[in-house]
Amino acid sequence: MLVTTFAGCGAKESKVTKNSEDGIRAYVGGTIFESSLDPVKGAMSYGYPFVNEALLQVNKNSEYVGDLATDWTVSEDALTYTFQLKKDVKFSDGSDFTAEDVVFTYETVKDNQANNENVDLTRLDKVTAVDEYTVEFQLKEAYSPFLDTTAMLQIVPSDAYDSKLFDTQPIGTGAYKVAQYDANQQIILEVNDQYYGDAPQVKKVTLVSMEPEAAFSAAKSGDLDIVMVGSNYSKEQVDGMTATNFETMDVRNISLPVNPESTAKDSEGNEVTVGNNVTSDKAVREALSIGINRQEIIDNAFNGVGKPAVNFTDNLVWASTEDYEDGRVDEAIRLLEDAGWKDTDEDGIREKGSQKCTFDVYAPGGDEDRYNLAVALAENAKDLGIDIQVKTATWDEVVTLQNTSGVVWGWGQYSPTVLYSLFYSKLYLTGGYDNVVGYKNDTVDQKIDEALAANNQEDALAAWKEVQKIADADYPELYLVNIEHCYFISDRLDVSVETQIPHPHGHGSPIVCNMKDWKYK
Amino acid sequence: MGAFLWGLFMNPEKYAVHYADKFLAPSLEHPFGTDFVGRDMFYRCIKGLSNSIVVGILASAVSSVVALVLGIASAVCGKWVDMVVNWCVDLCMGLPHLVLLMLISFMLGKGVKGVTIAVALTHWPSLTRIVRAEVMQIRSSQYVQAAYKMGISKWKVAVTHIVPHVLPSYLIGLVLLFPHAIMHEASITFLGFGLPAEMPAIGVILSEAMKHLATGKWWLALFPGLLLLIAVVLFDVIGDNLKKLWNPGSGNE
Repeated sequence: MLVTTFAGCGAKESKVTKNSEDGIRAYVGGTIFESSLDPVKGAMSYGYPFVNEALLQVNKNSEYVGDLATDWTVSEDALTYTFQLKKDVKFSDGSDFTAEDVVFTYETVKDNQANNENVDLTRLDKVTAVDEYTVEFQLKEAYSPFLDTTAMLQIVPSDAYDSKLFDTQPIGTGAYKVAQYDANQQIILEVNDQYYGDAPQVKKVTLVSMEPEAAFSAAKSGDLDIVMVGSNYSKEQVDGMTATNFETMDVRNISLPVNPESTAKDSEGNEVTVGNNVTSDKAVREALSIGINRQEIIDNAFNGVGKPAVNFTDNLVWASTEDYEDGRVDEAIRLLEDAGWKDTDEDGIREKGSQKCTFDVYAPGGDEDRYNLAVALAENAKDLGIDIQVKTATWDEVVTLQNTSGVVWGWGQYSPTVLYSLFYSKLYLTGGYDNVVGYKNDTVDQKIDEALAANNQEDALAAWKEVQKIADADYPELYLVNIEHCYFISDRLDVSVETQIPHPHGHGSPIVCNMKDWKYK
Repeated sequence: MGAFLWGLFMNPEKYAVHYADKFLAPSLEHPFGTDFVGRDMFYRCIKGLSNSIVVGILASAVSSVVALVLGIASAVCGKWVDMVVNWCVDLCMGLPHLVLLMLISFMLGKGVKGVTIAVALTHWPSLTRIVRAEVMQIRSSQYVQAAYKMGISKWKVAVTHIVPHVLPSYLIGLVLLFPHAIMHEASITFLGFGLPAEMPAIGVILSEAMKHLATGKWWLALFPGLLLLIAVVLFDVIGDNLKKLWNPGSGNE
């Protein structure tokens, strides 16, 4: 009797405080507050079209579909892209969306390329408005990932654009507009009355900025409808909310330098030490790739949230689908023994001559998940007699460590250019985080060039797959997990899982990708 | 002291990762419970405390030597030196201590090196003042003046007549520096400017524990915090007792 009374009270309380007039409150991580909301400066380049929209978008199966464009054609020489635009679309300030706005957006980004590190338009020669609803892009050289670019750059209005204002109050064609922006506190989104599509059911969404732990506590006390949590919270219980894991295109992998230790000149001409005498042995890299047990690592590090991955995720059209079994400990040990790595002093760690089979792996940027992942890997690698020393470093420090040690990376984007960045030999030691392992394979370079210059998607995809097939056989990257994003979602809200794209890299913000489809239950 | 030696020679296996035992509440087997990767918090705390004490010893040793040398120099070597030393003391004390610690540690690339040097370089000013005042007092006493008149060099007077008298308050100051050094090491580590996350240290343990407090893992923060408190209070008590033993004048306070 007493129990039912109490249970009744609890349920009632959580209903009373929530009212659909107030809209919903969501914590989706801090990244959305850290950078500008202006598409011209790279905002929402992973494609979350709730305020501004791009010409194309990438759907659930990572195929291109029109957003502000209805149709598009690519010329035979792959240098001219022509887009037909949607008609009767208005910006939230009431002005019409026309080809002129597209030209304006692309020209502004191109002229201010230094302000936008996410959308690269250096290969764009010129963009012209053929008529009011047709835009033509001329490229300097063939570049097959250009369609990704058009999905990444959202359109701003040519008349109303103001570089300073748009940092916080962008004007767009999407279903929502920014009603209020309080730096590092909250962003209030309200429905855009001018929106051409069906009006969304959720009229108001407030994105709040908090510490992750505070957000979780707020969710527990019923203040939030959506809260992004780390995998360490995934087994918790919150009244009136359900923990949901979302598929992502985000993998975690560890770069393993492929060359022995030597000195080289970096991009600024300084003499630096590069390479690693343990990971340069292909047997060590291969033994790790096939010998570790990824599921066990995920269970230990992430509470079992995430899927084992041996390459990029299958929800990307260009990703390799050549999967293999892991946990082949005996085979891995045989590989190591054949390569001369034997444990002669019986301390549990193999050695070859005087070289111990040990190397450092850095978890960058204070990311606890990456640190846990590396620790779990190190535990697992002990079975193979390989000693991995897990350390932490800031992103600035990683720049000096990445060529000599393993680093835990996270890649999750729909553009295949990540393969260029990982494996193109000329990018080694050019600064930044490109080709940190020092990979060099002429066939791979040639295939990458081929893929970039392809004039149709099929050839490009075939070449990208070829690139991975060759490069992965050398095991320069130790892929571990396709992570899943974990959110607690209020039982009164339906975030429309069927229209969520696989989440790109984004520490929590990707759930907003389909905000206009959210509904109250 | 026991914790210090115990931690120094502890087998790392004792606080190794042990996934089967994640988040166990305190029990007889794990008196302080276990953390998110199943490390035994008791051994980890002892090791962490021992690491803190090593940093503390290094830092207060260096700090106190600096304080002794500067204090005596400023009192003995004349007006100019005195002015410069006093200026340095004011400069260091004028900046918020924690900010100064962070700046130095960050500049030196954090880690053990950064913390030790930062803690060592910022704890001398108050002790320098004490030493200077004591030396000033002794210098004006008759036997020291007599020694000067007999033509003994300044340096020799300092070593034979002044240092032995300053020693008790200096040693007490040294012991009392200790809790400060440990607390400051733990604070800047907690804030992420100190020891790296892979090293057991009370600051690291506490900042990790913050992430799990919301889910009710109280033991992760409570015991390490208590341990740190106890260690600091103990050193304080030692210092106070030494003061009673070595500084007869304090009996009249």
